[in-house]
Amino acid sequence: MNSKAARFYSALLVCLIWLACAGPAAAQIASATITGKVTDSSGAAVANATVTIKNSASGEAVEAQTDASGAYAVKNLVPGDYDVSASAPGFAAKTAQVTVRQSATQNVDLSLEKSASSSSAEPSLSQLGFPSSETQGNPELQARLNKRTRMLQIHQRLGLITTAPLIATVITGAFAGGRSTSSTDRNIHMALGTATAGLYLATAYYAIFAPKIPGTRAEGNVRFHRAMAWIHGPGMILTPILGAMAYQQRSRGERVHGIAKLHGQVAIITAAAYGAAILSVSLKSGKVSRSAHKVAAALGLEHSHADNALTGDDASANP
Amino acid sequence: MKIKLAVLVLILALPALVRADSQWMLEKSTLTYHISHPLHEAEGVSHQARGKGICQAGQCNFLIAVPVKSFNSGDSNRDLHMLEVVRGAQFPMVVVRTEVPEAEIKPGTIHADLEIQFAGQTANYKQVSFQVTAQGDEMTLTGTIPATVSDFKIPPPKLLMIPIKNEIPVDVNMTWKQEK
Repeated sequence: MNSKAARFYSALLVCLIWLACAGPAAAQIASATITGKVTDSSGAAVANATVTIKNSASGEAVEAQTDASGAYAVKNLVPGDYDVSASAPGFAAKTAQVTVRQSATQNVDLSLEKSASSSSAEPSLSQLGFPSSETQGNPELQARLNKRTRMLQIHQRLGLITTAPLIATVITGAFAGGRSTSSTDRNIHMALGTATAGLYLATAYYAIFAPKIPGTRAEGNVRFHRAMAWIHGPGMILTPILGAMAYQQRSRGERVHGIAKLHGQVAIITAAAYGAAILSVSLKSGKVSRSAHKVAAALGLEHSHADNALTGDDASANP
Repeated sequence: MKIKLAVLVLILALPALVRADSQWMLEKSTLTYHISHPLHEAEGVSHQARGKGICQAGQCNFLIAVPVKSFNSGDSNRDLHMLEVVRGAQFPMVVVRTEVPEAEIKPGTIHADLEIQFAGQTANYKQVSFQVTAQGDEMTLTGTIPATVSDFKIPPPKLLMIPIKNEIPVDVNMTWKQEK
């Protein structure tokens, strides 16, 4: 490499390093703007309110005053996360979080509420006589509700996924039980049945172990959904057992006999109950609820409104 | 002596001067929300709202509150799911505030600006129409609040992975009694 070429490559390297550094440096140019309007709860402008814009990372704060129309604007901000708070005499302070980007203008409107002492003519929540247990938040219960919904959503998705191998198992069952069927047909049927049973158990797990919510009584379609579980639950246990017995008998060259002959019928009833359980949470309350009463009464389950071990607290996550 | 007496009378009269001109108390109410889903049309009803209105200097400030968990849709599963998505355990009350000129509280149509706190958010609805009918010292108010789930930054609940519609109109039927 000659000296000219060496100088060229050195210059090129310097340029590349400069370009690489220039990008991040440019990102720090203070060119962002936060604007907005401060209003009261009726939407009227709050003039002369103090707006404080604080950079969440550096803690650096800038103050501004709203004009007669309640508007404010703070320019030349470094891109990043900010806490925008507004305060005014007679109002409770309010803060909002915002992220501003390079050269962008972010609008942050704040609605201030009158502070409790601002007007004796405004009724307060405490005057309505609700017990404090009803008006105070309960983060623990919220976490329980969140976990319950997450588990029931998984239950719902797995339940829908399970229908595919379930239908395939029922279809292949028609080719697996006859005299002229091959061992391949039986193996495919058995593999699909095993997949169905596995997915079903996983689906059931997410309903059974979803957290219970104290003081909740089952009402509506979920009662029918649960009643169906008393049919497809035992059916999903019994069907593979009977299927294994039938498989062994056929593999020995025998005709399917004894209790194993019920494999097909039990499977059909199980699949039908499973389908009805899915449909029940897809139909309007009321229609199915009335059916649920009848089915539950027929099954001797009508007395039980409480949570039960088979179906868990609830078995779907209706909107 | 007369001045002292006058000051004393004024001090004693002060609480009476700042007292509200009149008050309204919510006697009974039916609040009904409607949700729409391709597979479902559902509604939840609550009769547990409480409210108070204080009128002073020709302006009436009303406050209405209702526990989120008091809404019943006839399906416990749906109600619990709704309670979860609206963070009803963390923010257990729906609080509505409005200010109405006292002169407008009469039979006919009334338009009110509502401020609603729900699910940890505050939304404002301008000029919501209500029909007012009177019977004795009671006023019955009916109307619909055009609420949406996005107004309160609520992620729309889903059934079979399909979300509900954004609109969740709330029908209001309230009977207020005036207390002088």
